[in-house]
Amino acid sequence: MTRAGRDKFAQKSLGGLHRNIKQAKCLMVGAGGIGCELLKNLVLTGFGEIHIVDLDTIDLSNLNRQFLFGRQHIKKPKALVAKETASRFNPNTKLTAHHANIKDSNFNVAWFKSFTIVFNALDNLDARRHVNKMCLAADVPLIESGTTGFNGQVQVISKAVTECYDCTTKPIPKSFPVCTIRSTPSQPIHCIVWAKSYLFNELFGASEDEVPEFDHSEDTDNAQEIKNLRQEAQELKRIRETLGQPEFAQNVFEKVFNKDITRLLEMKDMWKNRKPPAPLSFTSLSRGSLSSCPSDQRIWTPEENLWVFCDSLDRLSLRILGLKSMGEDLLLSFDKDDEDKLDFVAASANLRSQVFDIGCQSKFNIKQMAGNIIPAIATTNAITAGICVMQAFKVLKQKIKDARMVFLSMSGDRGLITEPLRTPNPSCQICGVARLDFECDTSKIQLQEFIKVVLQDVFEYSPSISILHDKLIYDEEYDDNLDASFENLGITDGSFLTILDESDDDQPRRVNLIVQIKTRSPSEPEKSFVIPHRIDIPMKQAQPPSLDSLVLSGKDFGRNNSPHVSNEVEQSRKRKAEDTLDSNQEPSKKVKAEGEIIIIDDGYIEID
Amino acid sequence: MSSLCLNRLQEERRQWRKNHPFGFYARPQRGSDGIDLRQWSCGIPGKEKTLWEGGLFKLEMVFPEEYPTKPPKCKFVPPLFHPNVYPSGTVCLSILNEDEGWKPAITIKQILLGIQDLLDDPNPESPAQAEAYNLFKKDRTAYDKRIRALVKENQAT
Repeated sequence: MTRAGRDKFAQKSLGGLHRNIKQAKCLMVGAGGIGCELLKNLVLTGFGEIHIVDLDTIDLSNLNRQFLFGRQHIKKPKALVAKETASRFNPNTKLTAHHANIKDSNFNVAWFKSFTIVFNALDNLDARRHVNKMCLAADVPLIESGTTGFNGQVQVISKAVTECYDCTTKPIPKSFPVCTIRSTPSQPIHCIVWAKSYLFNELFGASEDEVPEFDHSEDTDNAQEIKNLRQEAQELKRIRETLGQPEFAQNVFEKVFNKDITRLLEMKDMWKNRKPPAPLSFTSLSRGSLSSCPSDQRIWTPEENLWVFCDSLDRLSLRILGLKSMGEDLLLSFDKDDEDKLDFVAASANLRSQVFDIGCQSKFNIKQMAGNIIPAIATTNAITAGICVMQAFKVLKQKIKDARMVFLSMSGDRGLITEPLRTPNPSCQICGVARLDFECDTSKIQLQEFIKVVLQDVFEYSPSISILHDKLIYDEEYDDNLDASFENLGITDGSFLTILDESDDDQPRRVNLIVQIKTRSPSEPEKSFVIPHRIDIPMKQAQPPSLDSLVLSGKDFGRNNSPHVSNEVEQSRKRKAEDTLDSNQEPSKKVKAEGEIIIIDDGYIEID
Repeated sequence: MSSLCLNRLQEERRQWRKNHPFGFYARPQRGSDGIDLRQWSCGIPGKEKTLWEGGLFKLEMVFPEEYPTKPPKCKFVPPLFHPNVYPSGTVCLSILNEDEGWKPAITIKQILLGIQDLLDDPNPESPAQAEAYNLFKKDRTAYDKRIRALVKENQAT
């Protein structure tokens, strides 16, 4: 198609908007499930310039839904391949790919400011929060999206106009109580978490139970007791030292499937209402002789589990010894796509399931559970990506009031449910803040200069403040750092400082002030900073968020692309109708708050 | 770094400074370039009129990024001889379990008071170490003797 022809149709269907789209420079964060669909849409719609950021590489398992990638692209960076494939759809679009983490410091506020609009096509809470924060700081509109299974969600976020991503509490994936994992498992998942997060780490990773050294006189009862405890905690560590020796697998086996279980059995009360576990003996189990790992689709026999247990331990030991011989002392961490690690976790989990008489699982199922894999559906991604573009049109037309919160779901009468956008939550700690850009020479400016000349003289802060960076760097009772320069406190270009007003509870308090640091070039005149213009810092509304008023947030929840809709979230979203941008409009039926759009996922597990 | 987590911890620090129960201490870790609000060193005194009276037991609290949605991890350093304390020192207590009693509104003060209660009132339903548990169940005299020695070892000064 000729350039003119391509434009003709877009012009006809989009009218005046077409020009805005051609001139828009947009950022797409994430080139996975939603990202591939979205990039195709953006390119074909005729967006002028698109930057793609993704840190991931292409995996075989992506190919069923990430259609910009093919088999020949496996292991290549997603951002680069997505650019390559999509650039052929429309030569008029200028594409730039960054194979990088969006949290890298070069993607700073100034860089975000260069975009007309930002699209989130991410798979995790942390990165979503980061982009939300950066877009608020840069005052660039953000189209946030997510999917889980058949459910999808699109939200338009614009500083001071709409809610931000963090205005509503986001449920966080649940972790299991340590007691359930270590002593009283009752479901296969408990054994899988034990194998993956406890046993694997104790043997090959960073041990959770570092028992600190402490000196002690050996002649008291207590010293003896502490010694026993320490020994118990260090047993696995000692076994770890036999790694590579022929009896290593047997040592591990006897420790975790026999000795530890026997010890658990001694606690008789624990088994009053539970079926007591049955210790396994290494020597009485026949290992069988297999030539390779049995099928991952069926449940293995006890002999097969033992064989895989020993075999995978051998494989992992060889890898560790190999690393050691090269002078590296690397710790391994679990990775579902690493066959050796997965085999070990699958076999160990099943052996433990056997001990506690819980049903064993196939390796295939264990991979899904251990890797927190949530089924992703190409159609959901495609519809969601389409909605993203429709919402972006409204933003580009400067008609953000027409934009809607959109939910896609299989249940209920309609596939798509929309809701007016809400105004910012005044008590949100992310967008309910004042913001200040502060230009300085970080090697010269001292903390006390900043407090005195900027915070107190210009902004008339009282002495009752505290300043947070990654750590607390100042408060009324902590003034160790007054003479330190910003540089020495680790504050550099792009750093954010949070200033908290700590006036007494009965006094009105200001909202938090977020100060973004911009370094001055050394060629500037000798002054170490530029005195900022005073901005108005509003007072906190009503009650400061007292500790008791914090709301208990929701239940277990989908993680990957999860849209964060759930009963609990809907409850916490229940703010007055006037809170919506267009108060003439009835908010649609609360997205059937009472339970239709709930994203259920019991896949994500984490242990502390 | 989640600002929610840090803002809340600074508020906890403020509240603790204003008012905290007698005999306890709780302070975030000082580094060379600031205070790490996510790691606190605490001290829990044994309750009056119990076996534990007169002792002071050191505990470390580590706050995850997701705090206060998730509870902190509480660990006695060195590990404590107690039926509900894991050999590693980690405390097994319902209010510290996300699935059971944990609520984001629970303060550091409430956690420390809860653990203080646990000292003299172990929960036999969820034993965490065999030794203390078995002695507690089988030979209360010996158990009590052990606790008294422990208190002697960890005198509040």
